Amino acid sequence: MKQTLRFDQISCRLQVEGVPDVSTGQGGNAIGIITGWTLQWAGRPELEGRKEHLLALIQTVLPYARRLISDAAEAIGSGSDPVEIRPAGVGSHRLLLRSSQPDTPPLDVQLDDAELADLVRVLDQLRTDPRLQLSLELPPALPLRARELSDRIPRRQRLAAPAAAVLALAVSSTAALLWPTPSPPTAPQGRADNPGKLNTPR
Amino acid sequence: MAPDPAAPLPRRGLERLDLMLLCAEALDLNGAEAMLWLCQDLGLGDRLGSRVDLWKRRCHNPLRRHVRRGSLGVDDTDALIRILCSQADRLYPLLRALLSSTEPPAMAQQRWGLFEERLGELLRDRMNLRRVAVQRLLDAEDGAAQRRQLVRAMALAAGSGGFDRLKASLMDAAA
Repeated sequence: MKQTLRFDQISCRLQVEGVPDVSTGQGGNAIGIITGWTLQWAGRPELEGRKEHLLALIQTVLPYARRLISDAAEAIGSGSDPVEIRPAGVGSHRLLLRSSQPDTPPLDVQLDDAELADLVRVLDQLRTDPRLQLSLELPPALPLRARELSDRIPRRQRLAAPAAAVLALAVSSTAALLWPTPSPPTAPQGRADNPGKLNTPR
Repeated sequence: MAPDPAAPLPRRGLERLDLMLLCAEALDLNGAEAMLWLCQDLGLGDRLGSRVDLWKRRCHNPLRRHVRRGSLGVDDTDALIRILCSQADRLYPLLRALLSSTEPPAMAQQRWGLFEERLGELLRDRMNLRRVAVQRLLDAEDGAAQRRQLVRAMALAAGSGGFDRLKASLMDAAA
């Protein structure tokens, strides 16, 4: 029997339709096979597609949100992917959705932080809904490495510590070179003829 | 090599976690009480049953006026992150309103002004004002981007789905 899951936020509504996968013994109110989905956005065209498109949307938007929490947002997806998202200025994000139909230009959606948060929430609600009994193959959320975070710090601030270290090393090396070396001790008078010989004990 | 997700939160993560909890208090006048109710709702009453238990954990933030030494266990930080995600879920309409670009500018300015005023009061009350990070956060211009980043992080971490995302972010390596 066909099931419908609906998740609402202020700016968007996600509706997923599907049927239980009876071959794996799923119950009547579960969805194991997605037959279609729609995403309605206030003031924007409605999106619809197959399971693959929904998975691509989830696998692109949620990792982007993960990076955005760390203030290290970067483009996810490339020209050949069905979904791509990238930062587009302060508090703005550009979502590109490419149709599988030939000769159809990609849908370009500009989202602000609030609309992106709404989208993340409906996708989170879907993936954590116990009625959806389907593997979404999401990459695990992992901490970012220092290298991945370096771009969020201005270059001047990032280079200040190494530059100060190099300067300190140069100053100390110069000071060490300019420091007068102690003069060698002069040999005692009268023993210059045999400097290496020790006095005989008395 | 990526940092170990099962390791305790680093210093920067503890700072951000406590600052976001402070933002939740700035958004909700009954925020401190709400956190205690949430502890009971989330089944964390044994660990964080009282205001003092909660305060002791939050005092591991190095920016606090009264700092507790030592590291905070993973169970404690997980509990605080769960509380924060639930608080963010509860306060999501307010967080969203702050982030929305479709709000009338005058109203958005008023919302941010009120939030920043309350956050400033809490920071001056509880944090070490000699720390540069606190001074920067209190600065009207220099701290604006960081305050917005804290609000945005809370909005993206709201609800049970945000736990893993927020925890991974708090575990980030120091840049």
